[in-house]
Amino acid sequence: MMAQPKPLLAADRVRLYLTLVPYLLEHGEVSLAEAAEEFGVTPREMRGMVEKLTVIGLPGESGYWQQPQEMFDINWDLLDEQDVIEITNDVALRRVPRFTAREAAALLAGLQMVAAVPAVSDSGLVAGLISKLSRGAADAPADVVVAPSAVDAVREVVARGVQEGRAISFTYQAPDAEPTTRTVDPVQILITNAQWYLQGWCHLRQAMRTFHLDRVSEPKLTDIPITHAGDVVPEAFAGLDDEREVTVRLPERLAPLLRGFFTADASELINGTVTTRLHLADPRGVKRLAARFGGAMEVLHPSIARSATREWAASGLALYHRPATGEEL
Amino acid sequence: MAARIPAEERLTNLVVALMATEIGLTKQQILDNVSGYRQRADAGTRSDALEKMFERDKEELRALGVPIETIGDAADPNDLREARYRIPQAEYDLPSDIEFTAAELAVLRLAGSVWSAESASGDAQSGVRKIRALGIDGDEPIIGFAPRITARDAAFAPLQEAIEKSRVVGFDYLKPGEDAPRRRTVRPLALVDYEARWHVFGIDVDVEEERMFLLSRIVDDVKVSSATFDASLRDGAGERALQGLAMVAEKNAALLEVTPGTEAALRLGRRATPAAQGITVPFVDLHILADEIASYGPEVRVVEPAPLRDAVIARLRAVVDAHQTQEGER
Repeated sequence: MMAQPKPLLAADRVRLYLTLVPYLLEHGEVSLAEAAEEFGVTPREMRGMVEKLTVIGLPGESGYWQQPQEMFDINWDLLDEQDVIEITNDVALRRVPRFTAREAAALLAGLQMVAAVPAVSDSGLVAGLISKLSRGAADAPADVVVAPSAVDAVREVVARGVQEGRAISFTYQAPDAEPTTRTVDPVQILITNAQWYLQGWCHLRQAMRTFHLDRVSEPKLTDIPITHAGDVVPEAFAGLDDEREVTVRLPERLAPLLRGFFTADASELINGTVTTRLHLADPRGVKRLAARFGGAMEVLHPSIARSATREWAASGLALYHRPATGEEL
Repeated sequence: MAARIPAEERLTNLVVALMATEIGLTKQQILDNVSGYRQRADAGTRSDALEKMFERDKEELRALGVPIETIGDAADPNDLREARYRIPQAEYDLPSDIEFTAAELAVLRLAGSVWSAESASGDAQSGVRKIRALGIDGDEPIIGFAPRITARDAAFAPLQEAIEKSRVVGFDYLKPGEDAPRRRTVRPLALVDYEARWHVFGIDVDVEEERMFLLSRIVDDVKVSSATFDASLRDGAGERALQGLAMVAEKNAALLEVTPGTEAALRLGRRATPAAQGITVPFVDLHILADEIASYGPEVRVVEPAPLRDAVIARLRAVVDAHQTQEGER
């Protein structure tokens, strides 16, 4: 469930124990590997935590050590010989605790985000879940709300293709290119930065590609069963082999805005200004990005990208001049 | 020297001890008997240091959602010398009437997966784990959809904490087009993700009115003050914030002319309504729309409102100026 197990703080370990004990009591015998995966830690760390469980117990009575039945205990043979965890004596923590305010808030915001996913909205479960999470929280969670996004006809058709495992054909209008007709085996719909993307196997390009759904029109569900469902989904905005580099310069405080849209490498920071290289199929395409920054980002190299940026903005600016007089409106 | 007991062991023993008692334990009983404290007491740690440790531990556990009840002297509730502490099981346990089906768990797993690397991701996973610990069979994940939210703004975490604790915050806020940031004092009520940007909705104390602030325009650290406000102000705040945004979008409409078949026509057309001369696009923030319109270069022209047109012209002119020379050297 978690990609990279991180070192745990004391509070993380306490939180983990409070859920681990009821989890183990509910599931009986659980392999070390399974428990480690469930709790996002390494098997070694899980073993250490389970062993430590046996020093947890009821308080002693005025200076006396606790009796064995007052301590947690585990089946040591099973753990040592088969890497399987089993609690053999428990003294407390039997029930799953309430959600913390943070846990509830994170899940409630996530629910609003996924409410637009057809598989979720069709289920009709969201309202009930919101009430259960709110009621099950230890303290009132902060309102963390996600504005709903509309599901239009294109999103609807593409989502059905994903759910039913059927290829989709559509017209794709990439920026500064002629429209093309594509047939795609849908693998995944990526929803990020409030935009919807289809990731799938493009029959035309014979490769995995990412399509922005705003640029898709006339989508049709075909009867072609998909053949590339198991393929690895590409990094959303990963570079392609034939891409070229564009060098740009921008204030450090604006640099995070590039993250997630482009793969940038070899950044250099001097006096609060970042110089970095972006990867684009066509270097001239940087003009749109540069114009969005309103002059705060400067395109340095290659010169074809720099001049394309200047001309792009200049021709935009020309729309606001009265041709007859040259006077600005 | 006694063997050093790790903090998690002491804290977990404290939870177990406070759960096992009906009438509660006094601070002295805890320090003398709970493993983790008692070894330190035996090793000669001063009692005031141990008491401070106990106070910190209580705060740490409360932050984890563990309810620790303080039972004071009935005659004098402020006298905590003989106070007893306990964890009421009914407030600790997830209520037993809250159950989750396999289909609900699948939806929650997807909901829990939307956060990327932030701490909210860990919180969401931890919440899902609690539900899975209940033991639910037939948990088939929803595949084919990867919704993502990010909360990279440094202001997010302190604002969330301030909302939870109903604390007044202060921050410097820089609006586009203004030379210097202005100090704002706000009662924060909700965090709102609108068009992939985080906003804080709250009451601007200086004008006593509800306002929306973009987190990306907060230019320094958010200071969480010790002043609190009435928590009931938070009731329904998220809903009010969304309604407010919808009302602003309804009020603000840009009249645009777009070249058919272009990126601008596609992207703006998705949220536009046709007008006599071009299209009408609702917006919430003039500067954010101006950034987007500038990116389309000659594909779109702003007819009105004038401030939006001026903002787009200023951006395009700045781009031309920044790229005036042939080479990228100044």
